[in-house]
Amino acid sequence: MPLGAFIAVSAVLFFLGAAGVLVRRNAVVILMCVELMLNASNLALVAFSRRSGQLGAGNPLDQRGSVFVVFVFVVAAAEVAVGLAIILAAYRNRPTVNVDEIHELKG
Amino acid sequence: MVDLLEPFFFALFALGIIGAGASVVLLRQITAQALLMALSFACMAGMFLLLGAETIALFQVLIYVGAITILILFGVMFTKQNDRGYGLFFQKQTPLAAGLALLVALPVVILAFSFKDATTPSPKGGDLIPLAGSLFTDFAFPFEVASVLLLAALVGAIVLVKRDEE
Repeated sequence: MPLGAFIAVSAVLFFLGAAGVLVRRNAVVILMCVELMLNASNLALVAFSRRSGQLGAGNPLDQRGSVFVVFVFVVAAAEVAVGLAIILAAYRNRPTVNVDEIHELKG
Repeated sequence: MVDLLEPFFFALFALGIIGAGASVVLLRQITAQALLMALSFACMAGMFLLLGAETIALFQVLIYVGAITILILFGVMFTKQNDRGYGLFFQKQTPLAAGLALLVALPVVILAFSFKDATTPSPKGGDLIPLAGSLFTDFAFPFEVASVLLLAALVGAIVLVKRDEE
């Protein structure tokens, strides 16, 4: 398959996630959409690393794209853990996950 | 025969990724959304296999399909979900946001097909050995920083959800 097909799938998934973050009001759903966006960026990184001729990727030993993806995995795991902790802490103050109702900075 | 197999699997995985991703954005049943997100992640692992990144596909299944989906499901079950679509009276942003996202997405998707390919031979014995070599030599310091980040996130998550017991 050509590189463009992978990048197109990645772009479509990224914008689906972005639209979800903008439109949905449930905090857990927003977190899921952020994960979709991170995953789309992973696909773009791996596709460019494997198929693009410009990043020095002709060498099969060049794994910089995959190393970046590993770091994105780490950041995504940390983000979902802290994000859910924040959602649960906010839920304890005010029992809702609707981000429109969580609009005060007071505890 | 081999030439038809790769486009078939690509179409299958792309349909899974985009269909499940669209259902995550559009559906209103939160548990189904979480499981569909897992399906999207699993299809993404197949996409990594097509690209020849077997180790990344393995990490994808372990971390995304396993850990992150379970965490999201915990988040779903610890909170009360009301499916009622609630919005303030001036919040009619759904068509506007969809239109704006489409406006930006279309040029990007068209641009995506302009990239040139370079045929890369897949490394002998998979990509695990060169990936590990790169990760533990050139990127050893970022690797250590990432482990500190994970520890900080772990401690931070525990501190955030701890109840004050006095």
